[in-house]
Amino acid sequence: MGGDGSEVGKTVSTAIRFEHVSRRFVLHHHRARSFQELVIRLLQGQDNGRREVFWALSDVSFEVRKGEMVALVGPNGAGKSTVLKLISRIIDPTSGRIVVNGRVGALLELGTGFHPDLTGRENIYLNGAILGLRRGEITRRLDDIIAFAEMERFIDVPVKHYSSGMYVRLGFSVAVHVEPEILLVDEVLAVGDAAFQRRCLERIDQMRTNGTTIIFVSHDLNAVRRLCQRAIWLERGCIVADGSPEAVVGEYATHSYVASAALAARREHCRHGTGEVAIEEVRFLDGEGHLRDFFSTGESLTIEMRYRAHKVIERPVFGIAIHRSDGVHVTGPNTQFAQYEIPLIRGEGVVRYTVPFLPLLEGTYYVSVAVVDWCDTQMFDYHDRLYPLRVVPGCAERYGIITLQGEWCWAEGEAGSVP
Amino acid sequence: MTLIERKGSQTIIVADAELPVTQKPLHVVRAVFSYLGELWCYRELLLTLVVRDLKVRYRNSVLGVLWSLGNPLLMMAVFTLVFTVMTPSNIEKFPIFVLCGLLPWNFFSASVIGSIRSIVDNAPLIRKVYFPREVLPLSVVLSNLVNFLIALIVLFAFILVFQMPVTPWALLLPVVIIVQIIFTCGIALILSTVNVFYRDTQVIMEVAMLAWFFLTPIFYPIDILPRNYHLGSLTIDVWRGMYMMNPMASLIATYRVILYGSGFGGAPPALDFFGRTALTALGVFIIGMLVFFRYKRLFGEEV
Repeated sequence: MGGDGSEVGKTVSTAIRFEHVSRRFVLHHHRARSFQELVIRLLQGQDNGRREVFWALSDVSFEVRKGEMVALVGPNGAGKSTVLKLISRIIDPTSGRIVVNGRVGALLELGTGFHPDLTGRENIYLNGAILGLRRGEITRRLDDIIAFAEMERFIDVPVKHYSSGMYVRLGFSVAVHVEPEILLVDEVLAVGDAAFQRRCLERIDQMRTNGTTIIFVSHDLNAVRRLCQRAIWLERGCIVADGSPEAVVGEYATHSYVASAALAARREHCRHGTGEVAIEEVRFLDGEGHLRDFFSTGESLTIEMRYRAHKVIERPVFGIAIHRSDGVHVTGPNTQFAQYEIPLIRGEGVVRYTVPFLPLLEGTYYVSVAVVDWCDTQMFDYHDRLYPLRVVPGCAERYGIITLQGEWCWAEGEAGSVP
Repeated sequence: MTLIERKGSQTIIVADAELPVTQKPLHVVRAVFSYLGELWCYRELLLTLVVRDLKVRYRNSVLGVLWSLGNPLLMMAVFTLVFTVMTPSNIEKFPIFVLCGLLPWNFFSASVIGSIRSIVDNAPLIRKVYFPREVLPLSVVLSNLVNFLIALIVLFAFILVFQMPVTPWALLLPVVIIVQIIFTCGIALILSTVNVFYRDTQVIMEVAMLAWFFLTPIFYPIDILPRNYHLGSLTIDVWRGMYMMNPMASLIATYRVILYGSGFGGAPPALDFFGRTALTALGVFIIGMLVFFRYKRLFGEEV
């Protein structure tokens, strides 16, 4: 925790700053939810259930400058919503410090807090007050809110008579007209019709141009690429990558392609080749032949390719490439370099590449696989960085990409006297 | 306790674990002040919620305001029937006697029953938007206060109809009302918090409120309680015990004394008793604030 004086200057252009923020949730399994249960438990002499501690965020630090539009990507349960809830103060951090500059508005669940018996107009005042606006401020914006939601005809009708689309339109309109300095957007754009979705995105874009800081949580990676200047990838409560949306989203998409059917398009995009031989499955196996998706440095790794040849191919060459997550090409072995000649293939088969001692240091790597002909003129199948390989620390070394497993030797006296 | 500091538009949230032990008392003081400042900033929300409650209540019934008066008047009629015709009790102007107790009780009871559910019923809001959660139970109490004030007009109309004199002691009415508000808010804050963790609180309290109603001198005068009640070898002053243990009994007795007296106009209240009741109310309120303050940060994950 630094002194307060030095911080003021530093935070002028900062909208949000997380300093080593962690958030723990204690899950009480079978905790009594009523006095009735509590009494029964006491009579039966049971304890109050098992407690399970779960870290939704662990030691997360990042900074968002004013006017930036940052996307949070990651699978469900990665901690994205926890970050939003911490920013909007719905929950408190367990440790660390959060600095938030400016009023926070949220596009979380549109229409939250509408009362069904009140009219649209009355709900605008109610919702505005919940979001922290004065009555006069709401009156000033009332016409804009109604116009944007296209609700002129129905504004004095109780909202219980609204369609769900009208509900969402009014909710969105109130939320964006509150003019927050920081706007949190969480998966709301999946609702409403296409035209309204487009208008929402336009409006968000316009707010960004006007200097609103926006935190955008979405599984729509195309929207993230198009709208945001920066993306943060969260996984199990930790930041995996933070950088340009193109790089981070690319990495994340590659990483999670297996789980996401929506990314099938991208997967096709990364496959080239004539298809005369198709690599149908790629698996990572450990020394005992078990399937794994992470390895530690020094373990045995086998990359296994199952292929199907649609016609007889003579002298095919199978190859592998490993890239680090930032694009560095680490290595590119193939059967030809190894002078391992496969005379001909037909039908199905398996090719394995085994590394007895994995020299890669901690990080995320991407494995490409390919099968080409002997002269490297014909590409049968090529999977460009489709298979993420996570390496966790397995030795004390932590600088660079690989460990060379060299040996150190020390001798006193003349340098030349080393045996 | 997490420290929240606000400097202009900047909010700094510091987890409890980050605070050096030596600075904690100072931080608590700062936290309390920034919290009070924040409550002040959200006063319009409180007002809007009160207006919402009233609008919803009066829009949903055809009779509107009349209905909220109809309920106590009907109960007054029933009690009058029972205690003047069926079992005569020789109480002067019984309708006024019973209204003096019934109206404050209804204010209390409706506020408590309404506020218990206030946090849980607004779960979607609490999960999505930050605002001081206190405004939810407090707005229930305040909107019931508005009903109570309207009902008091009817009480005064009855006093005029029965040609009962209104004495200067009636000027103490605002003080008594304020003490009741403080007490009610304290109870509302405690019970709305408890209900978040134990959801059957509202069911239990509905029964408890019925018991409390009969244990409070509403349709009977407090003076019928024995001053020397023999329980085995013990002698209990039930009358005094009622004043001491039940702030509502003391409050209703005070309402009754200053408005009704003994049927011939208001009389001076027992100030020592009322003073103690006021202190009790303040104590309950402070406990309520502390309980709420301690647990409200868990609402976001519990509701």
